[in-house]
Amino acid sequence: MTWLVWRQHRNQAYFAAAALALLAVALLVTGRDMASQYHSALASCAASHSCGNLGDSLILGSTPLTLLVGFTVVVPCLLGVFWGGPLVARELETGTSQFAWLQGVSRRRWLTAQVGWVLLAAAAWGGAVSGLVTWWSSPQNALKHQNFQPGQFDIQGIVPIGYALFAVALGIAAGALIRRTLPAMAVTLGVFTLLRLVIGQDFRSHYLTPLTSTFSFLHPPAVPKGSYWLVSSGVVGPHGQVPGVSSHGGPGISFGGVHLPIGHLPSACQALVFQGPARFGSCLAAQGYRAVINYQPAGRYWAFQGIETGIFVLLAAALIAVTAIVVIRRDA
Amino acid sequence: MASSAQAAIRTSGLSKRYRKVTALSEATISVPEGRISALIGPNGAGKTTLLRLLAGLARPTGGDVAVLGARPGQDPAFLAGIGFLAQEIPLYQRFTAEDHLGIGAHLNSRWDGDSARRRLDGLSIPLGQKVGTLSGGQRAQLALALTLAKRPRLLLLDEPVAALDPLARRQFLAHLAEAVADGGLTVVLSSHLVADLERTCDHLILLAASQVQLCGDIDTVLAEHQVLVGPRKDTTAIERDHTLVHAVRTARQVTLLIRRGGPVVDPAFEASDVGLEELVLGYMGQHASPAPARLTMIGEEQ
Repeated sequence: MTWLVWRQHRNQAYFAAAALALLAVALLVTGRDMASQYHSALASCAASHSCGNLGDSLILGSTPLTLLVGFTVVVPCLLGVFWGGPLVARELETGTSQFAWLQGVSRRRWLTAQVGWVLLAAAAWGGAVSGLVTWWSSPQNALKHQNFQPGQFDIQGIVPIGYALFAVALGIAAGALIRRTLPAMAVTLGVFTLLRLVIGQDFRSHYLTPLTSTFSFLHPPAVPKGSYWLVSSGVVGPHGQVPGVSSHGGPGISFGGVHLPIGHLPSACQALVFQGPARFGSCLAAQGYRAVINYQPAGRYWAFQGIETGIFVLLAAALIAVTAIVVIRRDA
Repeated sequence: MASSAQAAIRTSGLSKRYRKVTALSEATISVPEGRISALIGPNGAGKTTLLRLLAGLARPTGGDVAVLGARPGQDPAFLAGIGFLAQEIPLYQRFTAEDHLGIGAHLNSRWDGDSARRRLDGLSIPLGQKVGTLSGGQRAQLALALTLAKRPRLLLLDEPVAALDPLARRQFLAHLAEAVADGGLTVVLSSHLVADLERTCDHLILLAASQVQLCGDIDTVLAEHQVLVGPRKDTTAIERDHTLVHAVRTARQVTLLIRRGGPVVDPAFEASDVGLEELVLGYMGQHASPAPARLTMIGEEQ
């Protein structure tokens, strides 16, 4: 079976290997530059004891490269659409399943070999791309503490492996159920994108209960250490939580990184918004207002990576089970 | 019907329903080992469905089926005994003949690649060329060679010659006959080209309207039937003694295809033997919508 799997998919493998090699060259070359830039900046700021605001002064990486790295977020989806979608669908569509499934190999073994090798390849490619991106981003991560943020979280660490496995399993299952290649590819694209968005925006922040921290407006807010993920921020007034609290959207003002919904603040203080944080802050403090942030601490980064990967791997396993039932039980 | 040999195929009440459509209804057939059986029937009669059920590609919705003594399934032992060639000849268009020989060699425990190569060489079919660029006849020959290389005990062929020109068709059937002559092979061959089948086959399964009309040795089946031509008169007496398959009535005379229940004694009717084509058309006409052209066919051949 391995022979057949390789014969059928070797062109895809060559193409993917070439694309991966190109990405590797681009990232290795620019990543080495960035790393040495970062280390020399670190050495010189240590000499002048000014490393505290290195993150504001040092800009690493060119825009095209940063875009390219951000673009790797679509790699699992591409694997799902182009490797997963046609795997079973094309055989059923062209009728070659009748040829393949009447050789001296059971459908179960045929499917095990096909699915096994393609999933293995998906994990390898997902892992390789993610490994390169994680290594390339390490100076940025150290500088800006951004690897827990949505967007960066999705292309670093181990989650891309889970996404790749899920996407390919989704493509295979869609193909087995729909039995047509192009519709299966389209469904894979749509369902994968939708599910990633929903899980990223609505579920991920609830994997573990966010920590809450409140602080007075009299001092600059004591933000958590390291690469924490700010889930939401707002204001607690004398009558409880001020509505409209969110880490994004709505008219507001940023106070030391905390988003304040300006319409719900006392009108006496609203007038002081543009007169500097000190006067504005002390007005709010005098009225009994305190800032509050909900966040996931940096120490939970790998727990979150593990949970999210686990969810997608379990979904992939369920889809493969569905595929097996469909391929073995349904008519060829 | 000869039943001394063990049956390669035996079904009873075999049925296949797709949501609302019955593709095959209560089929009970038996094909002895070593026969070449012609599976005949109009389009949509259930020929493909029957062959797919026998090959284990589809699951029956009712009845029993035993092929080479086992229930059709997906286990290697069953698959090793079955050769199946579908109407559409589904091969990998972007693979070469050599690639297909490789697949066969890797996926089958018993594989005779040498004989397949010899057969393809003899037909000067290029092994290194993509299958998609071969002619229809070459593709069919390649598919037959690949199917025979498995050394199956039962060969199921679903209109394999439908797309071929007469010369390619003759070559194909000649190779098939050669392979059967080598021994140990039972064949079920579906086609609606009765002339081709008459030359090649010695057993008959006649399907119409999703039901088995006839199943048995061609000679026996033909001997059981007779064509009667006589004056146009009441035929109830004949219908009482025999089974009337098909009748064509013109202004002056009537032509009857009957399955004999005994000797024909009515002197008003002239009895004659029936040919395979007549027989097939008679049974098909029985189930066809009464189009005039179809109804006159038997009469015309008298």
